[in-house]
Amino acid sequence: MIKVIGLYKSFGNNRVLKNLNIEIEERIATVVIGRSGIGKSVLLKSICGLIPPDKGSILIDGEDITKASRAKLHKIRSKIGMLFQDGALFDSFNVYENVAFPLVYHRLFDKETIHKKVMQYLELVEMQDFTEAMPHELSGGMKRKVAIARAMIMEPKYLLYDEPTTGLDPYSSAIVEILIKRLQEELKITSLIVTHDIELTNFIADKIALLEDGRIVAYESKEDSLKEGSLIYSHFITNREKIRIAHGY
Amino acid sequence: MFEEKISPLQEWANAGKAILYTYGNFFYWLLKENFPLKQIGEQFIRTMVEGFGTIMVGAFVQGLLIAWLAGNNASRFGANIWIGTISTYVIFKETSVLMAGILYSSRVGTGFTVEIGSMQMTGQLDALRLMTIEPTQYIVIPRVLASIITLPLLKALSDGVAVISTMVLIKIWFGVSFPIFADRAFMFLQTSSLTLSYVRTALIAFFTSLNSCALGFYFNGGAVELGKTTTKANVVNIIYVLIIDLSFAIMLELTGWA
Repeated sequence: MIKVIGLYKSFGNNRVLKNLNIEIEERIATVVIGRSGIGKSVLLKSICGLIPPDKGSILIDGEDITKASRAKLHKIRSKIGMLFQDGALFDSFNVYENVAFPLVYHRLFDKETIHKKVMQYLELVEMQDFTEAMPHELSGGMKRKVAIARAMIMEPKYLLYDEPTTGLDPYSSAIVEILIKRLQEELKITSLIVTHDIELTNFIADKIALLEDGRIVAYESKEDSLKEGSLIYSHFITNREKIRIAHGY
Repeated sequence: MFEEKISPLQEWANAGKAILYTYGNFFYWLLKENFPLKQIGEQFIRTMVEGFGTIMVGAFVQGLLIAWLAGNNASRFGANIWIGTISTYVIFKETSVLMAGILYSSRVGTGFTVEIGSMQMTGQLDALRLMTIEPTQYIVIPRVLASIITLPLLKALSDGVAVISTMVLIKIWFGVSFPIFADRAFMFLQTSSLTLSYVRTALIAFFTSLNSCALGFYFNGGAVELGKTTTKANVVNIIYVLIIDLSFAIMLELTGWA
């Protein structure tokens, strides 16, 4: 389980996270929604130890990542896979090499096993016909599919998604959504997705958290969040309407 | 992500901090882990290919320039036969170190900054960290160690090119024959001063490549900032080349080795 307790993070005078608390349950998809620039990516990067928080604890299976030594941090990180915005594929490697890279670098298996695993995950994301393609030759959606395969190949317990559909056309968004859903259903991974895409949220979320003013202000099951009167519902459905009306539209 | 607005002075202070931090990190990971031999090999080939053309063209022009200046002054005193001696002495001992260092850091070093900076910008460095691969180990160490091998080699080759261009110019313009040139060109060159020029070159390679990597590594922002960081890396490296050269000159003079 991932447990975030009293997390604070500032950049200069900009206080981004203020006493943020959340518990991510295992084997379900939790979606953190919130406006752009509210600190969703900061939360995700803090969880995997890429950004040190100013204050607070982040427990991953009971181990505090904020106090972990370098060796322990590596151990904890090996449980986490992450899909970065735009995929973060390595420019100088082709699709196959990108997916194989962590296994090759850590010399985890022999060449044949690595090949089998890479092809297995590329088939899972339906990218098996693009093994030789370079990242710049791929569309946004394809890059994210390859990035998901790369994140999955180390068989992490937790998979974090940073805005998985942002900037994609509706077709590619749908493909990525389906892929996340399928992985969730077939492999029962604990997924944490940060997004402001309400359609993606509705499609894949088991639980939804609303990040506002540096903290989680609502944390509900998807069913509850869709009910009228729910804070999440009002923020993402009726608020949009209110803002339009306030601007005279 | 969130960025702070900072003054230019603060920017330079941050660059200095980034460089010092990378030096510490470099030695920490160098001593801690195995040598990344495969990556060093790849970077050696890459840096040789990238640096070769620029440094050789620079060396050719450098040879012409030194020979031209030395030749015009020496010919006034009828000392044409010494033009080759003066030119090669200056090239081998001093200018080829400076030229190779400056051209290498401008061509290859800034390439490191842009490459690592764009990896930072697109989250590739974070992706490496999440794969429990330390970027200093995987990216910085191979580039720096490869540069320490590459730059002295390129300097050696560039010395050869500069001598050829010198020889050709003083033959055509000042009428000094090849045998006379060959007879006197290396008369005052000592093995110790040549060795020291290669030590200086290796030090320049170490510092400039590490600076370039450091600035790329701790860069934060978009395309405009990446441009500024690359310029900063170039300026810092040129100053480093001059400081290393000056330090050696002073040290040699004070210790009497000069």
